[in-house]
Amino acid sequence: MNEPLTLLLIGVLFLLLMFILLQPTKGIIPTIRRNKSANQKALLEDALKFIYNCEYNNISCTLNSIAGNLNISADAAAGIVAKLQNMGMIQVDKEYIALTSEGRSYALRVIRVHRLWEKFLADETSMTEKEWHKAAEEIEHKLSDEDANKLAAQIGNPVFDPHGDPIPTAKGEIPEKVGKHLTEMKPGEMATIIHIEDEPHTIYSQIVAEGLYPGMQIRMNEVNDKRVKFEANGDECILSPLIAKSITIGPIKLEKPVEGKLKPLSSLKVGEKGIVLGIAKSLRGQQRRRLMDLGIVPGTEIEAELESVTGDPVAYRVRGTTIALRKNQADKIYLVKEEERN
Amino acid sequence: MNTTITANKKEIIIAEANKLRWELGENLHDILMENIYENATEIAKKTVKYPDTKIAFSFDRQLDKILTSKYFGFPIMFLMLGIVFWLTIQGANYPSSLLANLLVDTIHPLLKNFAGSINLPWWLTGVLIDGAYLAMAWVVSVMLPPMAIFFPLYTLLEDFGYLPRVAFNMDPLYKKVGAHGRQALTMAMGFGCNAAGVIATRVIDSPRERLIAIITNNFSLCNGRWPTQILIATVFIGSAVPAYLAGIVSAAAVVFIAVLGITFSLLVSWFLSRTLLKGEASAFSLELPPYRPPRILQTLYTSLIDRTIFVLWRAIVFAIPAGMVIWLVANITIDGVSVANHFIQWVNPVAFIFGLNGVILLAYIIAIPANEIVIPTILMLTVANLGIQGVGAGSGVMFELESANDVAAILQAGGWTLLTGINLMLFSLLHNPCSTTIYTIYKETKSVKWTLVSTFLPILMGLTVTFFVTQIWRLLGN
Amino acid sequence: MNSKLDNCANCPAHNLSNLKKLGIDMSSFDYVVALAGNPNTGKSTVFNYLTGLKQHTGNWPGKTVTRAEGGFEYNGKKFKLVDLPGTYSLLSTSVDEEVARDFILFGQPDVTLIVIDATRVERNLNLVLQILEITDRVVICLNLMDEARRNGIEVDARTLSKELGVPVVPTSARQGEGMNELLKYIYDVATGAYICKPYRIKSKSKELNEAIERLSKEIQEEFPDLPNTRWVALRLLEGDQTIIDAIRSGELGNLQRQEVLQIEES
Repeated sequence: MNEPLTLLLIGVLFLLLMFILLQPTKGIIPTIRRNKSANQKALLEDALKFIYNCEYNNISCTLNSIAGNLNISADAAAGIVAKLQNMGMIQVDKEYIALTSEGRSYALRVIRVHRLWEKFLADETSMTEKEWHKAAEEIEHKLSDEDANKLAAQIGNPVFDPHGDPIPTAKGEIPEKVGKHLTEMKPGEMATIIHIEDEPHTIYSQIVAEGLYPGMQIRMNEVNDKRVKFEANGDECILSPLIAKSITIGPIKLEKPVEGKLKPLSSLKVGEKGIVLGIAKSLRGQQRRRLMDLGIVPGTEIEAELESVTGDPVAYRVRGTTIALRKNQADKIYLVKEEERN
Repeated sequence: MNTTITANKKEIIIAEANKLRWELGENLHDILMENIYENATEIAKKTVKYPDTKIAFSFDRQLDKILTSKYFGFPIMFLMLGIVFWLTIQGANYPSSLLANLLVDTIHPLLKNFAGSINLPWWLTGVLIDGAYLAMAWVVSVMLPPMAIFFPLYTLLEDFGYLPRVAFNMDPLYKKVGAHGRQALTMAMGFGCNAAGVIATRVIDSPRERLIAIITNNFSLCNGRWPTQILIATVFIGSAVPAYLAGIVSAAAVVFIAVLGITFSLLVSWFLSRTLLKGEASAFSLELPPYRPPRILQTLYTSLIDRTIFVLWRAIVFAIPAGMVIWLVANITIDGVSVANHFIQWVNPVAFIFGLNGVILLAYIIAIPANEIVIPTILMLTVANLGIQGVGAGSGVMFELESANDVAAILQAGGWTLLTGINLMLFSLLHNPCSTTIYTIYKETKSVKWTLVSTFLPILMGLTVTFFVTQIWRLLGN
Repeated sequence: MNSKLDNCANCPAHNLSNLKKLGIDMSSFDYVVALAGNPNTGKSTVFNYLTGLKQHTGNWPGKTVTRAEGGFEYNGKKFKLVDLPGTYSLLSTSVDEEVARDFILFGQPDVTLIVIDATRVERNLNLVLQILEITDRVVICLNLMDEARRNGIEVDARTLSKELGVPVVPTSARQGEGMNELLKYIYDVATGAYICKPYRIKSKSKELNEAIERLSKEIQEEFPDLPNTRWVALRLLEGDQTIIDAIRSGELGNLQRQEVLQIEES
């Protein structure tokens, strides 16, 4: 028993076993936990949500589209539709499927939890954009209304999720849809991105990879069947129309036009000054609030004052104080350099 | 009737607010902050006059340039830390032995004589004087002097404004492992005392990074563990090499353990920020305050009251009951054998797998209040377990020996080898925090979950490391 | 009114020897003073000076984590001093800010003493302007004047006071400079001898102004005695659950403008 080699092997095997069991997201225990949630209730709720989204976006909803969205067979979809009909959640008129008022409020409750959770993850945790939706897809079937209300209160009762979608209230109120698709813009037109659809996931991650986010100012250059070409915060961006359809735009809200070229704060060299124009939307939650509390808001004069030994972080002079920021933060603060003084 | 109308009116206000929020969009907070600062700028323009040139804080700027420069930044930092630690270790030696002379060598016998003169039952004398009093005396005499030197020095650097610059310079390293630059400071504080280090994490204002700093603080080898490391390194590692190398090699071994501790704290930070603590909020900002001339007297006073006495008090509160337990396990017998010996015999086979022994495991359990009393407890237990006569001060009475050779003799009689020594050094680095620190962690996090994580994670790591070291050692040795 | 105050500044009653540090003895008190301010402005030094306590005052942002209380007696009146967590702002969801915000609104202190850093006035004004929206009984302690002087920064306290509509007292709490005048103003604002006319945040955003106006009008109708409807409206727009609950429960109705009951006896 006390043979070192045997013990060594047992030790290694034990560590390996623990790794396989507990490894986050890919481990056996997390997988089992996840699979448990994919039950009948989740399917019913997902179907309701899908039908609601169809209505919100004025798309007709059929049995086939439900099956396609939920990734199940047409027969299974028929079963779910029948069940929902029995529960009084939907009305089926030939091909056309519509929510009853009861079904609508149920769907809105699920959507509320989903969007609240995304907002929570975005603002209060270190999870990345790509993980929010997945996590919210799970939690939406689990969180009770009461817990959802508590969560909402804790994070300041948000009314928009991080993608720019409105969050329904506890009573199921939701504002009407505004804005239009990116593809509906004309060349030369300017607009603000107000929403990025997070489903399907593959398209969403492509948009995220392009660095686009709600609140971004864009100018359309070219739009046709093959490609959509536009400028976002000064950088050119080309998308296929299929992907561009996931982006909703609204009228521009900026009061003063931007002069000069937008540069990230991180491009300032020690001794250089600039005027802050904005903070990227991707800097959110506490991070964003902290920066603004410290006085980094549009219109603020900022000067790079001091580099640390390795050059990151850099200390900036803001409103009479010296504040150190990491490069990944400074990359997300935009300004125009104050070059007149040189 | 009337009340329902007003209730409705209230709900209407709330619903109205919600509607307005949707209309205003998500930038409301941004717009508001921009407005407030616009107002602030306007008022400041009318009331504040800055000097024409950059005279404002020119001294600060100059000093900052030096302290954060590519060439001098790190050397100055290491020099400062080196001086602080040297002052602490050297300065504490004399008062420590003075206190030990007074509390352990003088007052302890006096108390025993007194107890004898009033015919106190032997077991009461044992529990109160050999147990509770001695543990307390030990903790005070080893803990007080280094803390009373280290904390004021640290506080002086803190009040002057140097420490934020250290955090500024060290940040890239901590950024890589998902932590905050200020963790460098709480770690440095941890070298003085882990409990104080945990309290010091208050300066980290981002929740996730603060938790990381709290959980990993224990990997900073604290004041209470340095003497253990030095003693064991001298006894086992120093004696394994030629005499002229003994000093350097054993010193290197201790430094290696301390550096290993820093490495572990970074690795664990990295691991935590990617797994358990992924769900915690993170917000980095580091203000560099202007330098201020420190007020020496005030600093001495506050660091003594706020840190030294505070931590010492917590340690004493835990040491007293533990002293009683230590005495009791050595003196309560079942079938003529003490509880301690029963436990040691029972645990020995398990301890063997980890290259340790029952005495060490028992000592780490009952000496949980303070790492300072681990060695005295080990010596006492070894002597009692082997039934050696003529050494020590009696059953259940902790003691220490002047000469390292005597320690070596006792431990070797207890079956210790070089492997046991190395494993003890590793285990002393990687085991649960002392109870004072555990309690402080609970106080600071107010969470049982994180307290448990910080308690058991290092034990698991310690057992894993000693296990593998032992097996590989034996495999190569055979 | 003002001339009366100026006269009184020289009268023997207003003297530092009238300050009695009560430490933590707060058996009974006449007035509650909330102590607010950015981190690292010497807030703790002011607290320690007034109460005679010795809280640690580190050169670190965010030192005061727990709420500390102490007392002092001035001109025969006992004051309870409540040290709020040091914050940069009151508009976020962090616990520190919630504690400070809720104490100033619901704790209804008789005076809120804001300590600001004379070398960083602009940044500190962010917090000042927010507090002035909540309460109109404010005294500003323009601290670290020595540091400002050393660096050639001049702050015109008189104009600042005129702009903000509340007393602004230049001090160096470390040296005890200006503390006498500070006490006098705390006393005057507490007793109602000094009436503040606080600055209100002006917004250029038409939409925001309209929204605040609309909401505050409705709040005014429901809670006619509420002194700071604009702030309540603003917090509602930020989704503050404490305010929503206070509206639902009607607790907001209890926050009336406190009339000064104690008329100066002298």
